Amino acid sequence: MKKALIVLFVLAVVAAGTAWGLSAPTQISAQEAATLKEGDAEKGELVFWAGGCASCHAAKGAKREDLLKLGGGLRLETPFGVFVAPNISSSETDGIGSWSLVDFANAMTHGTSPSGENYYPAFPYTSYARMTEGDLGDLYAFMKSLPKVEGKAADHELGFPFNMRRGLGLWKRLFLDPAPVIASPVSDGEVDQAIWDRGRYLVEGPGHCGECHTERDIAGGLVLSRWLGGAPAPTGDGRIPDITPVEGGFGSWSAADIAYYLESGFTPDYDSVGGEMVHVQENMARLPASDRDAIAAYLKAIPAIAPSN
Amino acid sequence: MRILGRVVSTALITGLGLAGVAAQAAEDPVATRQAIMSSVGAAAGLGGGMMKGEIDYNPVAGKSVIATMRAASIAYGDYFPAGSDQGETDATAKIWEDPDGFAAELAKFSAATEKATAASGKDGPADVDAFKAAMGPVFGTCKSCHETYRKKN
Repeated sequence: MKKALIVLFVLAVVAAGTAWGLSAPTQISAQEAATLKEGDAEKGELVFWAGGCASCHAAKGAKREDLLKLGGGLRLETPFGVFVAPNISSSETDGIGSWSLVDFANAMTHGTSPSGENYYPAFPYTSYARMTEGDLGDLYAFMKSLPKVEGKAADHELGFPFNMRRGLGLWKRLFLDPAPVIASPVSDGEVDQAIWDRGRYLVEGPGHCGECHTERDIAGGLVLSRWLGGAPAPTGDGRIPDITPVEGGFGSWSAADIAYYLESGFTPDYDSVGGEMVHVQENMARLPASDRDAIAAYLKAIPAIAPSN
Repeated sequence: MRILGRVVSTALITGLGLAGVAAQAAEDPVATRQAIMSSVGAAAGLGGGMMKGEIDYNPVAGKSVIATMRAASIAYGDYFPAGSDQGETDATAKIWEDPDGFAAELAKFSAATEKATAASGKDGPADVDAFKAAMGPVFGTCKSCHETYRKKN
């Protein structure tokens, strides 16, 4: 696996050498930039929890108001190396306090930094790319209102060739696509389209559920044909569960069970949420009940993915 | 006399049972702690069902839930000896890497059950609101431990 990854990345680097232009970081269009506008910080707070920003960018183990101190530093130990979450507080020098809204939108939806470098997809811009301009504007306003935290986080610890950011431009060409993953509800019963659409937006966009619940191919791209079908944990041990309506598995959860789990952290059998999902559940508990119901409605009406092998 | 006889034989049977448990626990701590946690899960299912209103509340049932949690919270930590991180277990390696952290979570669990037991009294919490007030903090300790010391799900 590791060897194959290295070969692939060497090939990617060679390709980048011969077709440098293909790997150039992309940005939002001038037209998109013109329609962006800074929004409402209060609404942005809900986007912030939906997006789970604090789960990686706040200090490890942070609770309550400490979740708003986004100094970074969390280490994500993955097969590609160690990614260290950066400081995204409102500090002008160490965080993102000096960013314009366009800078912010480029980072969130194109994985491109203000200086035109590619971000690693450990930052889930592949999902955030599906966020609306309105939510981005609101989130930007909210993030600006958060405390400044001094001190830059440590650099990522990545070996060659993964340490070559330019090569990620090619990766983005392959895997960065803001189109919806599931085109329309898949269900025998009746589905309220507006509720399902809201659920799809939350799950596929800001909630970035697919980043852990979907398996990745050898190049680290999500295998969309197995969307939310479960995957080896990207960090640590264990397996991230299948959350499609599969028989004998998650399919036995009712929509009410799913919404209750996101609110309370308890499964239908009264087992409790564990691992990194604790952060996610606590974030989801801050959303309006209608959003948790929408997530449940979406998860009940997507293709069931049977366990592989 | 008949009653005394029954008490004595019950005590004897219980004692033998406990001896059996102790032998099993020493042999297979993983199976023992899993059995304890499945009793916690069953009690949580009953308690949660009553809290949600899916099962009618009854003080005797409420008391049983709290007593089960209480016993588990005292016993559970004894079944993680060195080397029992192997095999079919969802326990994370952190339990043995950070025993103080794990002990602190167990202490939270038993502190919560101690209070709940006191609130439960002789007859169990009188109504579902009293039960919720007693059990809420106990339920709150589940995920703070599972976040770090159980393999994710």
